[in-house]
Amino acid sequence: MNHDVLVTGFGVRTVFGTGADAVRDGVFGGHPVFAPITRFDTSGYRTKAAATAGEPAPLREVLYDRAEAAVAMAGLPEGGDTAVLVGTAGDFAGLTRFWRESGGPRVADTVPARQAELLASRLGLHGPRMAFTNACVASASAITHACRLIAAGRVETALCAGGYLVEEENLAKFDSGFALSGKGEVRPFSADRSGLLLGDGAAAVLLESPDHARRRGARVLGAVTGWGAASDAYHVARPHPEGAGLAIAVQQALRRAGGAPIDYVNAHGTATRHNDPAETCGLRTVFGAAADTVPVSSTKGVTGHLLEASGVVEFVITLLALMDGVLPPTAGFTEPDPECDLDYVPNRPRRAGLRRALTVNAAFGGANTALVLERS
Amino acid sequence: MIVATADASAPPVPGFVESTFNPLVYQVAQRCLSACPGDGARTAVVLASMMGDATTLDLGSRRLAAGQAHNPLLFMQSTANAVLGHISREFGITGPLLSLSTLDDLAGELFATARVLLEDGELDRVLLIGVELAGTARTTAAHRELGTEPPSADRAVAIVIDRDDEIFQPPEVAPTTGYGSLRGLIDLAARTRGTQP
Repeated sequence: MNHDVLVTGFGVRTVFGTGADAVRDGVFGGHPVFAPITRFDTSGYRTKAAATAGEPAPLREVLYDRAEAAVAMAGLPEGGDTAVLVGTAGDFAGLTRFWRESGGPRVADTVPARQAELLASRLGLHGPRMAFTNACVASASAITHACRLIAAGRVETALCAGGYLVEEENLAKFDSGFALSGKGEVRPFSADRSGLLLGDGAAAVLLESPDHARRRGARVLGAVTGWGAASDAYHVARPHPEGAGLAIAVQQALRRAGGAPIDYVNAHGTATRHNDPAETCGLRTVFGAAADTVPVSSTKGVTGHLLEASGVVEFVITLLALMDGVLPPTAGFTEPDPECDLDYVPNRPRRAGLRRALTVNAAFGGANTALVLERS
Repeated sequence: MIVATADASAPPVPGFVESTFNPLVYQVAQRCLSACPGDGARTAVVLASMMGDATTLDLGSRRLAAGQAHNPLLFMQSTANAVLGHISREFGITGPLLSLSTLDDLAGELFATARVLLEDGELDRVLLIGVELAGTARTTAAHRELGTEPPSADRAVAIVIDRDDEIFQPPEVAPTTGYGSLRGLIDLAARTRGTQP
């Protein structure tokens, strides 16, 4: 087993609250809590629901809170050359405020890179820092890049984070693009799926080289043994109908992980018409007949779509599945779709002896990522 | 190593409206990839921009503030993924597509990213794209708050780096003004052509 990159800390936040136990109760419990949005006026939109938890703190504070938790869990001393890689498009609430109020404080927080700089300076981390802005694969791309940096020996530690808090700019965009469910529910892979809903989410993970973790006696939570990224070369917005890019990304990740069998897949599973069958097809291409025996679930049926934060939050969910030996369900699943014919772990969590799991994400423009995690 | 530049005279790209960001990106990518065809399966594309497509993003936000309906055409265009997807389709690129934002000079980050990607073994070449727009009232205010230099005009620079290229050091930042975070890339392009930036 080639443990190129170890996971030694994480912090996570979803609509269910902060920390691992909130994820265990809410995400693994499989109980959706989508509700009408109250933080702005939704009267002009077809969709009025999301997975939101009250009035959020500014994005910079949410990211810092979760990053600080990851660093504390890892017991990482301050002052090191830790890379800080953040999946974010910047603070959209600040964007809205700027144009509504002709100004406003902290307009620089709308610049994605500013979020990475803030995290690095507040945590006293001095390695390379940048923001990944490639939409729904942003924080998964940050993790993939961190793995490359660590495996190449360029850094020994990397803090990868991502955050998205539901706001009006993106609700307006997704609503105008008819991507949102108008029914107040998200049903990934179901025949009656009607689109996604947005959700609040943020997470951070501390990744580390084996040598560095060993030297400082860090507690190892898991390992990233494979990573891949590929594009569809198909369309500016829609995924390749056969999940071509996703299949390439997964094949790269599996090759790097040494070809060991996968016991669980945390899918992107947006519950849109185009994504779910394409993703199913891509996974079938990779796993062949074995696809029938690999459980696959989408946790967006409870978290909502976390946009730039999706990759890192779902990375933590996948890690917890490995640590606890429990598969998170696809909540909201009702009836099978002939085009989505895998074992989606419908509605109820399932105990399973897990060794390796895969988490995948996809984004506009046909960008795809895949990460293989292994239990420590 | 192939280098291309583009400015606001870049022709429109069908389907992409309102902003020069996507035409700039497309033109520099098209110039580089046409001059240097290669295996799309072993090509990565990395786009870096401190502010991104602020024109499109701020247009959507201003419409929102004015109580106007959101234009579905702008749905995905403010993320660079859309134009990268367009480029990947046209040139058959199935390697990774990355878009980054950094407060540092883009050249250093792009070169560092290319080095790491090419160590990967799955890739033979990387198309690096730096792009900045002159900006909006918001980005001007953000530059002021950050203490960074806004660019004086819309510009893009692209570089194709092959595995065999020896030039992996980011260029010294030129003592020129008006290029914002693109100054290192503009300088590199000028030196490659034997001209002044």
